[in-house]
Amino acid sequence: MMPHTSLICFLASYLVAFALEIVRFRRTNRWARWGGLAFASAGLLAQTWYLLNRGHQASLPPLLASTHDWMLVVAWLAMLVYLVMAVGNSRLNLGVFVYPLVLLLIGVAYKLDQVPNTELYVAQARRSWGLLHASLLVFGVVAAAAGCLSAFLYLLQHRRLKTSHAERQGFQMPSLPRLAAANRWAFLMSFLLLTLGYASGLLLSFSAPAAGSTVALSEPIVILSGVVWLLLAAALGWLLIQRGPAGRQVAWLTIVGLGGVLLTIFGLQLVTGHLHRGGRTAARVGVETQVRQ
Amino acid sequence: MNLQVVYCSHRASGLALRERLAFSKTQIPQAYAALKHAFPRAECVLLSTCNRVEVYTAQEDANQIPGHQDLARFFAEFHQLPVHEFFDDLLERSGPDVVRHLFQVAASLDSMVLGEPQIVAQVKEAYTLAQQHAASGPLTNALFQRALGVAKRVRTETGLAEGRVSIASVAVGEFGRRIFDRFDDKTVLVIGAGEMAIEAVRYLQDEGARQIWVCNRTLDRALALAQEWGGQVRPFERLDEWLAQADVIVSTTGAEPCLVPRDRFRLARQKGAYKPVFVLDLGVPRDFDPSIRDLDDNVFLYCIDDLQAICERNRRARQREVDRALVIIDQEVDRLMGELHHQATGPIIRRLREQWRQVVDQETRRLFQRLPHLEKDRADIERSIEQMVNKLLHPPLEALRDEAREGTPHGLLDALRRLFRLSDG
Repeated sequence: MMPHTSLICFLASYLVAFALEIVRFRRTNRWARWGGLAFASAGLLAQTWYLLNRGHQASLPPLLASTHDWMLVVAWLAMLVYLVMAVGNSRLNLGVFVYPLVLLLIGVAYKLDQVPNTELYVAQARRSWGLLHASLLVFGVVAAAAGCLSAFLYLLQHRRLKTSHAERQGFQMPSLPRLAAANRWAFLMSFLLLTLGYASGLLLSFSAPAAGSTVALSEPIVILSGVVWLLLAAALGWLLIQRGPAGRQVAWLTIVGLGGVLLTIFGLQLVTGHLHRGGRTAARVGVETQVRQ
Repeated sequence: MNLQVVYCSHRASGLALRERLAFSKTQIPQAYAALKHAFPRAECVLLSTCNRVEVYTAQEDANQIPGHQDLARFFAEFHQLPVHEFFDDLLERSGPDVVRHLFQVAASLDSMVLGEPQIVAQVKEAYTLAQQHAASGPLTNALFQRALGVAKRVRTETGLAEGRVSIASVAVGEFGRRIFDRFDDKTVLVIGAGEMAIEAVRYLQDEGARQIWVCNRTLDRALALAQEWGGQVRPFERLDEWLAQADVIVSTTGAEPCLVPRDRFRLARQKGAYKPVFVLDLGVPRDFDPSIRDLDDNVFLYCIDDLQAICERNRRARQREVDRALVIIDQEVDRLMGELHHQATGPIIRRLREQWRQVVDQETRRLFQRLPHLEKDRADIERSIEQMVNKLLHPPLEALRDEAREGTPHGLLDALRRLFRLSDG
């Protein structure tokens, strides 16, 4: 039997870990580092249980269970990547940037649609396509977040070097070439994954409607995603034809381009309460009413 | 237990004297041989760096430990110097002050650059050499092993070693290494040949820089430096070309008027395809027009004032950590002295226990010979006698332990020797 965990369990763990990261940011402190890592690991474990529990209850993988779960998977993945990096490099204090993002994602997830998309993925084939679509988008979103973070760090580091400011004791950023490389890779990976994610989404929408529900191409998320994708493609084209060092421009481009992707996806979810309206059938509305009561 | 150090350091003696008293690596074996010959029963460790020359000696017996004058004579004979030329510069410490002094030295509290890391390696090397020459012993082993531990503790528990404090290290460590990931594929152009340029190039070479161009108005000086660094000389007249090609520029001419005005550097940037360039302007007055940093995103210019301010700030931050380091050192001095004093009582305690053990063995053997029917209860009887002995010995040993916390309890040890007729052998 799975132990009962709630959203508050891992939210509290991450909050404590974030507080310890702030302590570290102000001054090098190995206790704060290990304490932060311990709380973050505990939070990640609790979040894993929570997602597995929800998936188990809805008989769907966490990525498909609901928009709430999808958002939590993004946060989970961001935490996992951060933890791996934090364990590997004690001087790279990225927590001050990653925790606010993760906490925001959890906060947004709390507000979002928690009703499982059970009837949207009744057919096995549709479920597999859906899983592929959601996975590609999740990885694309995480790569976009990583791109935005590396671009932001690039701009910070560049400004520090230009203005001859010393490094903070508790916060050492990677070198400009490393940040530029990370930035470029994150942009390319994000574009590739999001393109495949959108393509699989289109294929999914063209496939046979499942249980009377489908995702319409006229949905705001689909239209806006298409527009953002076109902008990203143009940015990628500019990036590829660039000659010579242009790290700062690339960083700004990444922030605007990938930031636009993140804003589109998360902003729309926050406004509409879910990713797709496709699942809102009469039966689903009934379930929602029961859940809300 | 007696500890002593006779030393001269940068705090009280000039470099000229320190150089005359120092022991080079090749002289160390002869120095240890001379020390062993002069003071055969003393443990010795020689610590000789550019900032200090120190001779640590230790011995259980106070009568035969080399004194200040003995060691001054040793320095004089070894280096063929008249004693009066340096006697006043030789300082001496003994007892717990020796421990405190060595801990402060190893923790880099006594260094010219507070918190510099090289001293730990130097102390470690000195101790290893003493071991190799069979000059160290139980006391110096305990002292130096603990000193290395204390240095590590100070480094991890305080911020004494954090932040760079020399201009060249700040320039290369805090800025250069963040502009470039690696230096082995970079071209370093050195204009002029000031002291700071030499230091900066040393740091750049430590980071892997291989291609070094020396550009100086005086060709002889340029040739000498290029030879020293394994670099190449570049004619000063074609400076614009080198400015365009170099990735790192270190300049220390301090020429007037400004050597590289904005327009000159703008042309060099055009030829260099605007690749990132790290410019270290260490000249006073400046060699580069400060406005060149705004030419494009990839010009990173640092002048001596920028770097000096950071060094000063780091130095102040380190200074704030000194008190915390001293608290750790005081704790560790007390701990080590307690342990050493306690160790000094060890032989007496061991002999006392052995003597009582012998008495117990003799008497129990006699008892069981006389009363063989007690043989079946032998184990119980022996255990009771053992407990009795322990209880009787407990008060004097406890008193000895208490006294040892304050120092070697010579009076009490002597009393025990006389009361229980314990021999020294």
